[in-house]
Amino acid sequence: MVPRRTDTWVVIAAYNEGRVVADVVAGVAREGWSVVVVDDGSRDDTAVHARQPGVKVLRHAVNLGQGAALQTGIDFAIRQGAKYLVTFDADGQMSTDDIPVLIEALQDADVALGSRFLGSVDGATKKRMVLLKSAVVMSNRLSGLKLTDAHCGLRAFRAEVAPKLRITQDRMAHASEILRKIKSSGVRVVEVPCTIKYTAHSMAKGQGGMQAIRILFDYFFRAA
Amino acid sequence: MIIRVLLLLGLAASGWFIFLKRNRLPFHIVTLFALLGVGAVAVVVPETTNEIALLVGVGRGADLVMYVAIVSVLFVLIHYYAKFVDLQHKVTQLTRELAILRAETEASAKTATTTSQSD
Repeated sequence: MVPRRTDTWVVIAAYNEGRVVADVVAGVAREGWSVVVVDDGSRDDTAVHARQPGVKVLRHAVNLGQGAALQTGIDFAIRQGAKYLVTFDADGQMSTDDIPVLIEALQDADVALGSRFLGSVDGATKKRMVLLKSAVVMSNRLSGLKLTDAHCGLRAFRAEVAPKLRITQDRMAHASEILRKIKSSGVRVVEVPCTIKYTAHSMAKGQGGMQAIRILFDYFFRAA
Repeated sequence: MIIRVLLLLGLAASGWFIFLKRNRLPFHIVTLFALLGVGAVAVVVPETTNEIALLVGVGRGADLVMYVAIVSVLFVLIHYYAKFVDLQHKVTQLTRELAILRAETEASAKTATTTSQSD
């Protein structure tokens, strides 16, 4: 049986994405998925741009970080009766074509993770690719999983396993936290190829080498 | 002599602040109070620090005071860091609840208007 698209909630965390969020949100909503955008206390007009017919917009009164924003969206979607959840980036580097592939993969898995390295990466610099590759090695070390990609923001999971994957890392360490919880809770996980298109905008907002240190610090010393 | 008065005043002021801010006495507060007391003793009778230092195998009283102070301050620092992380989680929960509640009340307010219009 093909699940109804409205049972799948796409959670988009957005922080100061006023310039691009409208197109991203419209693109996802057009495909018939339910959409919740969490404006993570942006200082720009992100919330205004996200507000579109059929799209739920939540607003954090203060900026908490991507991890916190995703979990807020997940909590809300589950209260709205979501059966499947997808995390999607607000900066326009992901393709909505990958969403049905992820949901399809959930027919025999609890979690489906998008993998740039099974799919394709467009527009990334050499330096960024090296950084990403080393993140994969580091991430597999930390989580104990054997994955081809580490911190691709595109994921889908069944609502039943959401409590097991609950994000307590408010900022960027949530990506590693989710992987750790996938491993420790023993949920079924698959990787699905996805396409990531880097743009000048998303590259500027992306995580640099210095942020990696911050993420590691959070991961080890800010655990709940 | 002036330094002794200054140090004692400083210790007393710290104690007063701690007491003013909290009137419960958890472990880290007890630690702070103990430090203040020991500090006062060290100021009034500095020779005792030398004796204790020699007893535990430290060359000088001043060195012992420094070691104890550093370790204690570190303890208190870590305690407050843990508190800070805890507090941050609470802020997250509050912000999250607020965001969800606001979206839900907005939705139900909209339904209420449409219902009243159709009446």
